Amino acid sequence: MKRRELIRRGVFAGAVAALRPGLGMAQGASQAAGTARSSELTPAQSGVDASKDLAGAGWKPLFLDEHQNETLIVLSDLMIPATDTPGAKAALVNRTIDLVLAAETSEVQRAFLNSLGFLDGESMRRFKAAFRYLSREDQDDLLHGMAYPRVGSKWTGEAETKPDIGHEHFEALKKSIMTAYYSSQMGAQELGWDGAFTHGTFAGCEHPEGSHK
Amino acid sequence: MSMNFDISYLGQDVLQQTYDAVVVGSGATGGWAAKQLAEAGLKVVLLEAGRAVSRAEFTEHMPAYKLKYRDHSPEIARTRPVQKQCYACMEYNYEWFVNDLENPYSTPPDKPFTWQRLRILGGRSLVWGRQSYRMSDNDFKAASRDGYGDDWPISYADLAPYYDIVEKYVGITGAAEGNEMLPDGQFLPPMKMSCGEILLRDRVKAKFGRTVTIGRAAVLTQVHNGRAACHYCGPCERGCSTFSYFSSPFTTVKDAVKSGNCTVITNAVVSHVDMDGTNKARGVTYVDRLTRQVKEVRGKAVILCAQALESTRILLNSSTREYPNGLANSSGALGRYLMDHVVGGGATGHLSDFKIAPNANEPRRPNGIYVPRFRNTPSSKKERFLRGYGYQGGAGAEFNFIAEGYGALLKKSVKEGVYGASLGAFGESLARWDNYIEIDSDLKDAWGIPALRISMTHGDNEAALMEDAGATAAEMLEAAGAKDIRVRTRVEMPGMAIHELGTARMGNDPKKSVLNAFNQTHDVKNVFVMDGASFVSSACQNPTLTMMAVTVRACASLIDRFRRSEI
Repeated sequence: MKRRELIRRGVFAGAVAALRPGLGMAQGASQAAGTARSSELTPAQSGVDASKDLAGAGWKPLFLDEHQNETLIVLSDLMIPATDTPGAKAALVNRTIDLVLAAETSEVQRAFLNSLGFLDGESMRRFKAAFRYLSREDQDDLLHGMAYPRVGSKWTGEAETKPDIGHEHFEALKKSIMTAYYSSQMGAQELGWDGAFTHGTFAGCEHPEGSHK
Repeated sequence: MSMNFDISYLGQDVLQQTYDAVVVGSGATGGWAAKQLAEAGLKVVLLEAGRAVSRAEFTEHMPAYKLKYRDHSPEIARTRPVQKQCYACMEYNYEWFVNDLENPYSTPPDKPFTWQRLRILGGRSLVWGRQSYRMSDNDFKAASRDGYGDDWPISYADLAPYYDIVEKYVGITGAAEGNEMLPDGQFLPPMKMSCGEILLRDRVKAKFGRTVTIGRAAVLTQVHNGRAACHYCGPCERGCSTFSYFSSPFTTVKDAVKSGNCTVITNAVVSHVDMDGTNKARGVTYVDRLTRQVKEVRGKAVILCAQALESTRILLNSSTREYPNGLANSSGALGRYLMDHVVGGGATGHLSDFKIAPNANEPRRPNGIYVPRFRNTPSSKKERFLRGYGYQGGAGAEFNFIAEGYGALLKKSVKEGVYGASLGAFGESLARWDNYIEIDSDLKDAWGIPALRISMTHGDNEAALMEDAGATAAEMLEAAGAKDIRVRTRVEMPGMAIHELGTARMGNDPKKSVLNAFNQTHDVKNVFVMDGASFVSSACQNPTLTMMAVTVRACASLIDRFRRSEI
């Protein structure tokens, strides 16, 4: 392709050049000198620390409604409770999930609400109340029925024919909650991270040669 | 050390002079071309389609909780639906990867291809996997051994001195093994293996006679050429504040500029090679990425190091009356024989005998283990498929994020972890005429430059390799006592290995190849392609080390030609 053709195809875009009088050689050189336009850096590369963004007292959900949000708080804290370390509620897992969902495709949003809705549906069917209003005992009862996969008949060997929808919804919700929790600062602390990035050289196996038989 | 170039050309028009060499692309190969030629005294201009990069934007020491979306940024899905298929494209660094909306390409509907790339000084050397393996004559002369395809016009002996040069400069950690398929090199001290890896190594050697070795990687294990040793923080693909893995902006390109003979122009999106009417190239034309201005830069030699598909795209977009189907394409082979290692086969398992809990404060080794090819070797039997594959993998204690149940027990199970082991194959991608790229006449990039249509599938041989790789990985993990073994035999879509090779192959016959043995086009004596496009076959080893050695060898020949005034 020839220069002429490029120009004819409108690549030259003189108007664009005219709007940016400063982008001559000098600025081209400053580009070469190692300065990136901020729009070409990710927030992380610009040094943005978003870890406190969701901690504000006036926080409001972007995507979830109040009932969904409260349900998620209850559920997430059952999934990952406070033990000798903080749990999902303290780690603001609901807020992280809400933020990510608000930016997600409608398909992903729908799938999440569907799973949360299934939980309430089962709760209503079995206990005549929404999940977040159940007693702790009933909540555990409900979750235990969904937490483990169903298998077929022990006697005939017949496979389970009904799809294990409850378990699928449980796993979907659990995955969102685990991801949000273990990527939080509290989650990193729960795993025992000391906050340092270097811990010396990888030592590898220090057992005597031939000790792993 | 920072990336502040001495802007020697400031105040004079860099485009008014004729350079000895115009190098297109500043990645692993372009950096080497610029360094070798500039240090030999040639005047070089290095063109990079993207912006400059600086240490200030490295994020390897930023925890995920500082990311607004914890690595689920909607910006990635919106602007980089293709790039996000690469594990290294993250909320941390996605701006390094091309914006897919600005950089389109097409494929036939039934032939998906994922093309993952960067346009920034250094290109993919900023985020590469760093694995560095030599090829052997079992690869260069594979066609003579099994009858498929073509031999390279060069042998291992031709390339060995250049492997040495590259390894000594780059710094490759590794262990010598004396393996017939994987020549040893100039190694820095090897990284250590975990208990599980040592068990796997010993059992696999005892039972199958196969070699398991520590990965050979372009990561420093001691101070080397002014760069510090690796500090084992882990995520190299986000940058390295101590420059301990090899990336071109902070090594080769820096040296090229330091020589005083190399001018770097960033944001120069090269569209085509310009010819002078006497079957010689006069330079290249580029579009300024930011201003969209069209500019020409002149050189006595044009060297394309733009990445295999991009270099060929430039030639295809440089058609003339003499070369109506792409510059230097009298053979018709330009664009043909596209390859990308086949991946997808392998296995995972648990070495439950190791009661070692995962530790968040353990040094993170940016390297794994490697199993050199053991199929269809001179000392093994002939298989039902051609060629073979190597494995990359590892073993160690991991947090168990897929532990079952919920509640306090779940929390405990996550921390107890599992001792995992995995092997994943990289298989040879056979060079086939039917895997090719061409210009899509209906598609242009954001700078008006005609885009590529990529037509590639993996064939029956690649599928057979992955099937064998899955079963064989299971067999090896089983020998190490692994439980809960899971086998994968699928063939991932082409492009997933990010090892694109071919489309401007070397060869001795100008009727069947684009380049001669020194990466010079047969047709146009001052046009060179010095990147993965030149590969005749893919072998199964990660190709970057060989690409760099081929470039350095081609540059040595070019420097000689300049000295003899042949250019």
